[in-house]
Amino acid sequence: MDAKLINPFIDAFITVMPQIGFPIPKRTRAYVQSKVITNFGVAVMLGFTKQIRGNVIYNMNDDTAKFIASTMMMGMPINEVDAMAQSAIAEMSNMLAANTATNLTALELEVDISTPSVTVGKDTKIKIGSGQYLTIEMDMGGHKVDIAIAVDRDM
Amino acid sequence: MEKVRVMIVDDSKISRTILANHLSKTNFEVVAMAANAAEALKLYQEHNPELVTMDMNLPDADGIECTKRIRGFDPEAKIIMISAMKDASLVAKGRAVGISAFLQKPVSTNDIIDTLLLLSQQQANKVAVLRESYAKAFERALQQGLLNIIGVNSKTSVDSYDKRYLEIDGVAVIIGLTGYPVGRAIMYMSRDTVKAFTSTMLGTDEVTDEEMNEAVEEAANIVIGRGASNINDVFKDKEMRITPPGTISGSGIKIASPKLTTFKLTASSQVGDIFINVGFAEGE
Repeated sequence: MDAKLINPFIDAFITVMPQIGFPIPKRTRAYVQSKVITNFGVAVMLGFTKQIRGNVIYNMNDDTAKFIASTMMMGMPINEVDAMAQSAIAEMSNMLAANTATNLTALELEVDISTPSVTVGKDTKIKIGSGQYLTIEMDMGGHKVDIAIAVDRDM
Repeated sequence: MEKVRVMIVDDSKISRTILANHLSKTNFEVVAMAANAAEALKLYQEHNPELVTMDMNLPDADGIECTKRIRGFDPEAKIIMISAMKDASLVAKGRAVGISAFLQKPVSTNDIIDTLLLLSQQQANKVAVLRESYAKAFERALQQGLLNIIGVNSKTSVDSYDKRYLEIDGVAVIIGLTGYPVGRAIMYMSRDTVKAFTSTMLGTDEVTDEEMNEAVEEAANIVIGRGASNINDVFKDKEMRITPPGTISGSGIKIASPKLTTFKLTASSQVGDIFINVGFAEGE
């Protein structure tokens, strides 16, 4: 995987999240995973096509999912990851992916994005590529979101 | 099926045939064809179509006059002007008599669909368009794909899917759809079916978990890719692409896709039931 393709994802997260009311995210670590990710509770997957092909997964635990949904709905209390919370998280993922696409355009890479699929189920396994891929852990005031990025230039 | 009933008004037999061919590939049903204004009014009164396509040049009156007469009978009539020439003065005159949309010949199938979606007030019609033009393309792909991949015949069906999320015990492969319309397709089957499916595919009873995941992933890639190709064959001016697959296995998996119009495709076969849940974002 081309390391240049990672920054557009991180920059999008750092740009978009404060705009929708979150503390400024910090990149806390980066690690390599192989083939499979383990769902922390809520994992949102989006796919890319055109000059970039692949998938990104925003992976978080239930507490963080509830925190995100609540913040996006102006502080409304969220007790479980229900349909409304899933919808809020899907919307956030759309914004992140759209901003990432804009960042990729700056690298002269045109991309199209699929709709998000919100998968719920702690410890279920999701395979998003056949090889290794990079995961970036972002921290927002103690809440962690892992961005698993399995994308490549389409030759 | 919830077909959208259309009347074509055009003096040229060739034009009527081309348009009817376009429409027949989607969920439109051409209920009447008129070659002149007098016939148009008579047939409108008989068939009460939901939509009229109107040519500008008719032997006994022009399209504007014909529209006036039809809307004199039914002020709610939805009429699309399809003409060789489209200029500001024609559009202004057309708007004045209540024409809803203007298209220029030759018209692409996709332009017609888009125009209909815009004109269609009823949710049912939007769903019908997505079902007939898009979901069914995946249904055909599912049936053909299973025959090619594991050599089994299956009985397939398409149903609207209104539940908020999909619950899966077994293997699910998510493939994103980009371009037009944007969405996602999920092929899934129960653990027992995966086992029978993989055994049939590999010709052995001894199959590993990894082989089972890969078998479903490969099948999903082939079937959903073919479904997108079926759609691209009809709608030549816009291209649907598929993302690489994401494969989930386990029990109690829930997948939510907020704001999508979704359909459940079922293929019943000797290895068990194989499903595709396909969802499209409405509009663009």
